[in-house]
Amino acid sequence: MADDDALRGLLAEVGRGDAAALARLYDLTSPKLFGVILRIQKDRGLAEDVLQDVYLRVWQAAGSYDPATGRPLTWLCIIARNRAIDVLRRKDTAEVQGPSEDYGEDWVARLMDPHDDATAFMYRDALSTCLSQLEPMHRDCVVLAYCEGHSREELALRHNRPVNTIKTWLHRALASLRTCLETVA
Amino acid sequence: MSGPGNPDPGPDPDLRAAEYALGTLDTLERAEMEREIAVDLGTAIRVRDWERRLAPLLDAVPPVAPSPRVRAALLQSLPGPLPGPSDQLAALRRQVRRWRITAAGAGLLAAGLALFVAVGLRQEPERGRYLAVVQGGGALPALIVRVDTHTGTAQVRPVGAEAPAGRNLQLWYVGAAGPKPLGLVGATPSRVKLPPGASPDGAIAVSVEPPGGSPTGQPTGPVVYTGKLIPE
Repeated sequence: MADDDALRGLLAEVGRGDAAALARLYDLTSPKLFGVILRIQKDRGLAEDVLQDVYLRVWQAAGSYDPATGRPLTWLCIIARNRAIDVLRRKDTAEVQGPSEDYGEDWVARLMDPHDDATAFMYRDALSTCLSQLEPMHRDCVVLAYCEGHSREELALRHNRPVNTIKTWLHRALASLRTCLETVA
Repeated sequence: MSGPGNPDPGPDPDLRAAEYALGTLDTLERAEMEREIAVDLGTAIRVRDWERRLAPLLDAVPPVAPSPRVRAALLQSLPGPLPGPSDQLAALRRQVRRWRITAAGAGLLAAGLALFVAVGLRQEPERGRYLAVVQGGGALPALIVRVDTHTGTAQVRPVGAEAPAGRNLQLWYVGAAGPKPLGLVGATPSRVKLPPGASPDGAIAVSVEPPGGSPTGQPTGPVVYTGKLIPE
């Protein structure tokens, strides 16, 4: 994966309207962004539409990226994720996506795998510590919502609980995460 | 129009921001949050904080190569080099109009910031004069900055910029040499001096800083607004 400096440089060039820079940025980052989108939007064709739309947005918004607000790849991933969720929420309502296996614990386990710089590792370490302190079912909801784009309704089906219970779980889990991250970080 | 109304803001705005970042809000709730992010700096910061808290989970997602046709379609669909200034001004007019309606309907500008909607967009283009609409990513301009490269000054008009309690908003000119401080964003319009050599290629940004401004001469807090200079 390209380093942050290279991506920052490319974003600056894209912000100045350099299409070749967008192509290079796409080559370096699209597998990651597509991975993020495809986890949420499991229809490959629709996921590719989202991907294209995300880079068009990046084309328009790259000039507003500010390095002080975070790493470039994270910025791109958050745009991709938000877009994938938007599209999914707009169309889903009744349509529950395909069966998901027990990814919940798997995601947390993958978080423990350090392969990045110290700061990124510190944030990830803090988040995985705090996630591991949640009640397992609450953690499952948070992780599946974030990584797989599960709605409250899907989580309710999965856990065979009313939607309001899921909402309460999510709120409790998020409030605990907030408190824990403040303490750990 | 009776305004958007605000039936149930929920017990804890931070948890709504968290659910937005998590992705579990439904379409209507998401749209509502996006509107709030655009007009309320506190909401925007809450969402951004949650996005940052949860982002490490993205590291766990394995990359997947998309089909090559996406790349081809993307590059073909690029709408020309850059949106022309006239497009941007038209977009700005729409934004200001939309914002006026929202602000009138919901009384959103509680902060004691002066309100300047008279953007002067009808003026004839003048050489050396540029406009930056400094915004946090939504429909509402937070600051309107007029830059005059002839006189080397910029006029700053706060429109919807709100500093978190106990902090100041600091204005920056971001050029090739990096961010240069322009001064603190006050409640009233002010005129500031541009750094030497400031060019229209630059951008204007606003960061959250300790009272009195960044102690280091560089932004130390989160950058909450950015805007490019466009010819006026």
